[in-house]
Amino acid sequence: MAQIFPRWTNIIPLKIAGALILIALAISCGIWYYFTPKYTRVGYQPTQPVPFSHALHVNQLGMDCRHCHSFVEKSSHANVPHTQTCINCHSQVKKDSPKLNAVWASWNSGRAIPWIKIHQAPDYVYFDHSAHVNRGISCVHCHGQINEMEVVYHAKPLSMSFCLDCHRAPQEFIRPVDQVYNLDWKVQSREEQLKMGRELVEQWKVNPPVTCEGCHR
Amino acid sequence: MKRVIQHPAPETTGRKYWRSLEELAESPAFQAELEREFPQGAAEFHGDDLSRRNFLRLMGASMALAGVGFAGCRRPEAYITPYRKSPEWAIPGRSLFYTTAMPRRKGAMPLMATTYDGRPTKIEGNPGLPGSRTATDAIAQASILDLYDPDRAKDVMAQGKPSTLEAFWKQLSDLRTQFAANKGAGLAILANVDSSPTRSRLKAELRAQFPAAIWAEYDPILAASSLESAQELLLGQGVTQAPLYDKAKVILSLDCDFLGFFDGTTDSIKKFADGRRVAKPGDGMNRLYAVENRYTLTGGMADHRLRLPASQIPAFTALLAKELEKTGLNLGLNGAADAIAKVSAKDDFKTKWIAELAQDLIRHKGSALVVAGSNQPVAVHVLTAAINSALDSYGTTISTVSAPTREAKSIQDLAAAIEAKSVQTLFVLGGNPVYDAPAELNWASLQKSVPQVIRSSYYRDESSTGAQWFVPTAHYLESWGDGLTPEGAYVCIQPTILPLFAGVSQLQILAALLGQPVAFGPQAVQETFRQISKNNSELAWNEFVHDGVLTGSSAKSLGAKPAIDRARTAISGSFASLGDKSLELVLVPSTSVEDGQFANNGWLQELPDTITKNTWGNAALVSPKTAKELGIESHVNKGIHYGKMVALTVNKRQITVPVLVAPGHADNSISLSLGYGRTQAGRAGNGVGFNAYPIRTSEAPYVMTGVSLKPTGEETDFALTQEHGAMEGRAIVREATSEAWAANPGFAKEQGIDGHQPYIEAVNPYTGQTEKTLPSIYKHPLMTGLNQWGMTIDLNTCVGCNACMVACQSENNIPVVGREQVQHNREMHWIRIDRYFAGPEGTPDENAVENPEMVMQPMACQQCENAPCETVCPVNATVHSEEGLNVMTYNRCIGTRYCANNCPYKVRRFNFFDYNKRPIHRTQVGLGPLKVESERPLYFGPLATRPEDEVELIKMQKNPNVTVRMRGVMEKCTYCVQRLEGAKIEQLARIKGSENHRLPDGVVKTACQQVCPAEAITFGNINDANSAVAKAKNDPRNYQVLAYIGTVPRTSYLARIRNPNPKMPDAISMGLISTPAGHEGEHGHESHDHTPHAADPHSAPAEGATSHGGSGH
Repeated sequence: MAQIFPRWTNIIPLKIAGALILIALAISCGIWYYFTPKYTRVGYQPTQPVPFSHALHVNQLGMDCRHCHSFVEKSSHANVPHTQTCINCHSQVKKDSPKLNAVWASWNSGRAIPWIKIHQAPDYVYFDHSAHVNRGISCVHCHGQINEMEVVYHAKPLSMSFCLDCHRAPQEFIRPVDQVYNLDWKVQSREEQLKMGRELVEQWKVNPPVTCEGCHR
Repeated sequence: MKRVIQHPAPETTGRKYWRSLEELAESPAFQAELEREFPQGAAEFHGDDLSRRNFLRLMGASMALAGVGFAGCRRPEAYITPYRKSPEWAIPGRSLFYTTAMPRRKGAMPLMATTYDGRPTKIEGNPGLPGSRTATDAIAQASILDLYDPDRAKDVMAQGKPSTLEAFWKQLSDLRTQFAANKGAGLAILANVDSSPTRSRLKAELRAQFPAAIWAEYDPILAASSLESAQELLLGQGVTQAPLYDKAKVILSLDCDFLGFFDGTTDSIKKFADGRRVAKPGDGMNRLYAVENRYTLTGGMADHRLRLPASQIPAFTALLAKELEKTGLNLGLNGAADAIAKVSAKDDFKTKWIAELAQDLIRHKGSALVVAGSNQPVAVHVLTAAINSALDSYGTTISTVSAPTREAKSIQDLAAAIEAKSVQTLFVLGGNPVYDAPAELNWASLQKSVPQVIRSSYYRDESSTGAQWFVPTAHYLESWGDGLTPEGAYVCIQPTILPLFAGVSQLQILAALLGQPVAFGPQAVQETFRQISKNNSELAWNEFVHDGVLTGSSAKSLGAKPAIDRARTAISGSFASLGDKSLELVLVPSTSVEDGQFANNGWLQELPDTITKNTWGNAALVSPKTAKELGIESHVNKGIHYGKMVALTVNKRQITVPVLVAPGHADNSISLSLGYGRTQAGRAGNGVGFNAYPIRTSEAPYVMTGVSLKPTGEETDFALTQEHGAMEGRAIVREATSEAWAANPGFAKEQGIDGHQPYIEAVNPYTGQTEKTLPSIYKHPLMTGLNQWGMTIDLNTCVGCNACMVACQSENNIPVVGREQVQHNREMHWIRIDRYFAGPEGTPDENAVENPEMVMQPMACQQCENAPCETVCPVNATVHSEEGLNVMTYNRCIGTRYCANNCPYKVRRFNFFDYNKRPIHRTQVGLGPLKVESERPLYFGPLATRPEDEVELIKMQKNPNVTVRMRGVMEKCTYCVQRLEGAKIEQLARIKGSENHRLPDGVVKTACQQVCPAEAITFGNINDANSAVAKAKNDPRNYQVLAYIGTVPRTSYLARIRNPNPKMPDAISMGLISTPAGHEGEHGHESHDHTPHAADPHSAPAEGATSHGGSGH
């Protein structure tokens, strides 16, 4: 009896199975990478209503973070400056610059400048700035080299594992309290960081929560 | 297949605790309910109007309609909108506290409001004030919800059409010119009762400008009170008396619920608790006698309680007075009590009760206190004053202070004027007279007959219908005002937010009538402040606003003595004799919605009645015996209680109400709570319960005799929570008499089967030291956190006032679920108050059913160290923190409900629906034009939506530090973890680069602890030996609930100590010893003497007779 299917068809099921595995793997890897904050959030750089440059204000003019984000040490929330904070200087400096139109509009109308939120924790996460900046965690750890940004973008993934990396090993990131707002401060090597980090953790009895209630309430 | 664990039979404690008559009778239905994995109805799909299949079909349709677009995949753009100019003190993300006060009928309750970004979210007591300090009551806690009530009046209305405030002010100025001509003749104002000195000042000015105008005040609760007139008679005008419960060793309450009903202060609980608090055997504690017709919280705390119809209190008081005179005490009555001291049937028990009570009062001369319910007739107050005076109570346990006099006409005077057609313009400010005015006035038609009615109230309620002008009243949190506390301190009502809608305060309306500036602002109050404080400085005013109280303004003790001679003639009247068998009806304010003004507050409606645990409604309460005699017993079907409807007729006025059988109620007496059956309260309050006002008259506003009761043959259902979370009669609540405690200081750790625990040596998980402990199958990591949180609840001082339940609801964003959901065991309260009835063990006899004792036990998550819930969670949504908290991570929870199933304390709550997002009351459901009216909109899922503006309004109340949970998520008490973490972070910010993490003891309080008027809750770090909680845990009365199952709860209880008088005839059942029988024989370590009370005939330690203990699940 003549064979209906040629011999090579025998391995078709095997090939299909192999292909399916590869496809599944590709999808998994795709989701693994593309659906995580590493991809979905990092690089988010919306156009803000005011073309404010951190690079100019911090690096060139040498302003301290706390000049504008005045309550970062006192509150969970690092406030975006009130319009008044901008006007304090810009009523003297560059007051006719068209870049300040939105600021003046806000000042005259009383309506807020609608800054677009970039770093956004989910509703069930209770991140507290004051707990971090007061205990040797610098702005750059989560926000990146913000002092070099012309336009602010999302630099770090801020995923749960990102948080836990530090909460589990604070010695890798901690720095002296007086260097928190010095965004260019660097240690020479990892060994040096670990040495100083371990000392600070020991000295300050740093014990960041790794159980749920630390962040989820 | 469910595994049935055979728990060892508990040792007899000689006491039996039960929550409902069904449980006491061990009815098969109740047993079946206990055995269920989930309570009846809790885990099933309800909704007769919607089958499961239909539901899925509708869900599918709505999904399709919503479109399967990818619009939802992008993260929505969010904005940060900073202020233009920074307001002073405002720090984004942090709360600000403002002192304020809540106006209540007997005075303002001093408060502190928490605000976030300008919106008030939580109410606390003003800690700067002496007295009740941070404590408040349930109503003050719940008042924050009223501020964001979507049903509150929002618009000014003129002739039924929307108008503006400007037009209203114009109208008032026109009226002013009009009435200036005739000195106010034809002008009448009916206002609610308020303590505000500014209002009094404006009232006086009004009187000067319009001498012919009528100013009347009405309050339905105060209308029933004769205390004020009695005190005027006894002490003179402007003098009132304040009982000092903390100074009294023996207290007798004659129908006076001083622990359950408070207006403006919870000081009575605090003072009573102070006199009750014990730390070791032998500590002195007060003794409370209560005589009352229905169980109240006061009766629940009593060491001796006599059930007596309210109409027989005068006879009882007179008999007591006579008994005291017989023992040689000179009451100065000259036989005035003889006519009242009537006994219709000789009753040896009551005679002995009175005789021994009299002896005890005399023994404690100088430290005794007799208080009479304010609604009792003047004769009772005069007799009480005579007794107190003879017992030297004035000056020791009673202080007399000056009180402002209320100069106002009564509603009856006003009604007469309206009938005489002499009123052209009537202002109805606050209150709700159409709903609650005395029935014989027929106020609704009276009000209609006035040519012009100008109404201002918080809701467009019954009394607003037909008013020519309506203007919304502002909430106390959005208007300036002032008040006097019941103690006489001058307090400031400071707004915490601008009026959300077009609300104005009464002060503004009065100012407009006087031609004064009406703008929103403190000017009027400031003027009063200057007059009262005699201080014109801005600084003094700022201090007043900041502190919330004028320092040193509390009323000073006057040292007045009652003039019995002058008042003696008032001891008259015809009262029922002791033992009379005729039926009486007693109308009392609801423990939840009070007189009805809070009827639209979902938190209060869902708050169980303190005694009956009835939610969303009221019922006529009768004793089991009376119910049996009249054939009106309530029954249970599928876990839902049903009551027979009866028609109550008094003086040809009739109402129809359901009957609920209430153990501990006096026979031949019916009590019914006011405040229900509203028709225009709003969507939460409309049609809830039954209105009792139609039979309430000026003549008999409290007790009515000559009541006829007729069953209508119909039935109605209740939403009772009393059996929810029942725990099968193990030694859950523990108590002993003071004598028994002295004999066996460690009794609390030996009750139930705790006395037989096989203790082993094991490592304590948080200290790391080896200790004697229970064996555990768990091996859990060392809890290394610096703070190890723990709590104790003192059952000896907890009166069960429910304040903690609402405080928790407010702090933790706990939703309201509605009446039908409560019936299915789905209420969400994280802390509940379990009310246990108690009586001698054995077959329940009549006395056990009719006259049980009561114990209250607050029950929330026990934060077990070996938490059974944690081991069954498949997704690790509930785990243990290193500080000993059993934490619940909502965003991980997938809703298997295994944890709730495995929780021996039944304290986990599941969101069966999106209670926050979906409407829970009758509303329109459907899509577009296809809409139907539904009673149960929850079952329609996304087809039933709340309007966006309503959601926005409700959102404003939410505590931003607590996640708002959605459907399908389990939740439970967290020890207010947001407060703990907040306090820790604050400490970190304070210490910066140093190591001093440790929080000072008492710096962080849980919401329930903060609100507790009795200070029964202690919370803190048990690792710190000097903390208050660590000390409380060392109290000999400390015990853990269900300790023998080895859950090692962090919350423990301090057993209740009763202080009975051994000579009283009912001391036998009160004086039960709780030591297990045969204990000494088995364990050599017991060497104490056991007190003679064990000889009680009811409690004869019936070994082996406890057959009910063996079942379980």
